Amino acid sequence: MADTFFFHPALLFFGALPFIPVLKGIWRQALVLLVPLLAFTLVLGFTSGTHGVVDVHGLHLVFGRVDKLAIIFANVFSLMSIIGAVYGLHVKEPWQQVAAMGYVGSALGCVFAGDFLTLFLFWEGLMVFSTALVFLRKTEKSNRAGYRYFLVHVTGGLLLLGGIFLHYHQTGSIAFVRFHQETAGLAEYLILAGFLLNAAVPPLHAWLPDAYGSATVVGSVFMCAYTTKTAVYALIRTFPGFDILIALGVVMALYGVVYAVLENDARRLLSYHIISQVGYMVTGVGIGTALALNGACAHAYAHILYKSLLFMGVGGVLHVTGRSRFSELGGLWKYMPYTLVFTLIGGLSISAFPLFSGFVSKSMVISGAWEDHLQWAALGLTLASAGTFLHTGLKVPYFIWFWRDKPSFEPPKKEAPLNMLIAMGIAAYYCVLIGVNPEGLYKLLPFDAHYHPYTAQHVMESMQILLFTMLGFFLLIKKLYPEPKVGLDLDWFYRRGAGYFMAFCRNVLRMLDEQVIKNMHRTFALPLLRAFARVANWNDQRVVDGVVDNSAQAVLSLGDHMRVFMQPGILSRYIARTLTVLAGIALLALYLR
Amino acid sequence: MIVRCISWMRKHYSLVQKSFLAVLAALLIGDLWVPRHHVFFLGDEIPGFWALFGFGACALIILGSKWLGHAWLFRPEDYYEKEGNK
Repeated sequence: MADTFFFHPALLFFGALPFIPVLKGIWRQALVLLVPLLAFTLVLGFTSGTHGVVDVHGLHLVFGRVDKLAIIFANVFSLMSIIGAVYGLHVKEPWQQVAAMGYVGSALGCVFAGDFLTLFLFWEGLMVFSTALVFLRKTEKSNRAGYRYFLVHVTGGLLLLGGIFLHYHQTGSIAFVRFHQETAGLAEYLILAGFLLNAAVPPLHAWLPDAYGSATVVGSVFMCAYTTKTAVYALIRTFPGFDILIALGVVMALYGVVYAVLENDARRLLSYHIISQVGYMVTGVGIGTALALNGACAHAYAHILYKSLLFMGVGGVLHVTGRSRFSELGGLWKYMPYTLVFTLIGGLSISAFPLFSGFVSKSMVISGAWEDHLQWAALGLTLASAGTFLHTGLKVPYFIWFWRDKPSFEPPKKEAPLNMLIAMGIAAYYCVLIGVNPEGLYKLLPFDAHYHPYTAQHVMESMQILLFTMLGFFLLIKKLYPEPKVGLDLDWFYRRGAGYFMAFCRNVLRMLDEQVIKNMHRTFALPLLRAFARVANWNDQRVVDGVVDNSAQAVLSLGDHMRVFMQPGILSRYIARTLTVLAGIALLALYLR
Repeated sequence: MIVRCISWMRKHYSLVQKSFLAVLAALLIGDLWVPRHHVFFLGDEIPGFWALFGFGACALIILGSKWLGHAWLFRPEDYYEKEGNK
C-alpha cells in the first residue's frame, strides 16, 4: 500500500503559513512561489494508493486517498495556486497570501480526503480562509458581504455535518465513497444539500456573486477556482447518476446566463457565469456515464484556468482603474491592450471556440447528454453556451475596452503590474494548450471513455452557433448597454428579507409584547380572577352558608320537637313510660335466663 | 502592436464588417458539404440549423432577460445599501 511515495501537499501550504507574515520582500515572494511549485511537482509524481490512515476512537480517518479522480483535481488545484501566487506577488501586506495559501491547502485536503470527517474538516477550512479573502478587501461593503458569506457557508457546513452524522448512525461508515440513488435517504440528501450549496446550485447560489464581487482582486481570482470545484469533485465522488442533478444543472446553466445579462459589475457578471459553467459539470455528474463524468472533470480543469484568467483580467482593470462597473468603464483598449488580449483568450475559451480549452471539455458533457438521449438537457446547455459567448466573450471585452472612444475618467497611465500580466500569460498559455492538444488533458481523466472533439461536424456546429450569436450581439447591442442597476436575486431573502424580518420583530412582535403580553394581567388575568372570586363568593354565601344555616335550623327544630315529645309535663305519661320500661327489662331478664 | 492592430481595424470598420459577414456566409454554404456522423437530433441534419439556433438563442437571451429585468428584477444599484441595515 505505502510502497508509493506520498507527501500530503496540503502540509506544504499549511506549513508555510506561519512564515509568510514573518518574512519580508523577496524572501516572502520566493516562499509564496516555491510552495505551489513544489506542490505541483509532488502531485505530478503521485500514483494511486491509500496513505495517511489514522484510527481515532474507532473512526477510520483517511487523509491521503490517491486515485485518478483525486489526482486530476489536485493537479489543476496546484497549477492554479502557482498562477494565483504569481498574480498576487505585488501585494505588500502578507495576510491575503496567508489566507490564499490556507485556502489552497484546504482544497487539496478535501481532494485527498478518504472519509467524510476529514472532508468536513478541510471543507470548513475552505470556508474560513475564503471568508478572510472577502474581509481583507477592508471596505464597508466587503465586510457585510463577508458576514453574509460566512453565515451562508456555516449553514451549508451544518447541513453537511448533519448528513454525515445521520449517515454514520445508519450505516456505521464514514467512508467518502459513492452513494446510490435507490438507497439514498435523508442522510444522503443532507450531504447532497451541503455539496450543492458550495457548488452554488440555485436556490443555494446567491452567496457567490455577492462574495466574489466584493472580495479582494487577488482573493476572487483564488476563490473562483476552489470552492465550487471542490464541491464538483465531491459530487463526482459521491453522487454520480442522481437524476435530480441533471435538471438542477441545466437550470443552473441558464440561470447564470439570464442574470449575467442584467449585471452591471464585471466581477459579478463573471460570478454568474461560474454558476452557469458549474451547471455543465453538475449536469455531467447527474448523467453519470463515463463520458459525462469525464466531461465534468475536464470541464472543471479547463474552467479553473479560463475563469481565473477572466477574473485576473477584470481584476487587473479594477486594480489599475479602481472600477469594475461597465457603466463607468469603456475605451480602455489603448491603455490596457495586453490585459485585453488575455481576457479575450479567456472569453474565447469559456465560450468553447475551437482551439481553446472550453471547446474540448464543454462538448464532452453536451455529447454525454446527446448520447444518453437527454435532448432537452443538451439543447438547454447549448443555449447556455450561446449566452456564455454573448457575455463573457463579447459583453465583457466590449464594454470594458471599447464602447466609448475614451474612458470617461482620467485614463490609466500604466498597464496592469507585470506579475499580473505574467500570471495571465501562464493561464492563457494553458487555455490554448489544452484547446490545441486535448490529449494531454484527456489522459488525466479518471474514467474510461474516448472522445474526439475535432470532427468537421462539431467544429462547424460550434462556429455557426458562436458567430451567429456574435451577429445577434452586434444587431441588438443597444439593448445591452449597461444599466446601473442590480438584479434581484435570492440573496434578497437575507439582505432585504432579513431587514423586513427585523422590522417585523421590532414593530409587530414588540407591539404584541408591550400592548398585549405586558397588559395581560390587566386585560385577561385580573378579570378572570375577579370572575372567579365572584363565583367563590356566591358559593360561599349561597352554598356553604346555606348548608350551615339550614342544618343549624334543622337541629334547633328537631330539639324543639324532642322537647315537646319527651317533656310533656303530664304525670300520668311519666308513670306509664316508667312502668313500660320496667316491664321491658323484666321480660328481657326472663328471656335471657 | 496590439494597439496598432486595433486602430487599423477601427479605421477600416466597414471592411471588418464585410469580412465578418463573408465568414458567416461561408459557414452557411460550407455546412452543405459537412459529413454528418453523429446525428442525435433532427437539427443535426438541416444545414444551417445551428446558425439559426445561435442567432435565436442570442436574441432570446437578450430580449427575454432584459424584459424580465425591467418587468421585475431591476433595482437601483444602492438598493441594498439604502435600507439594508434596518
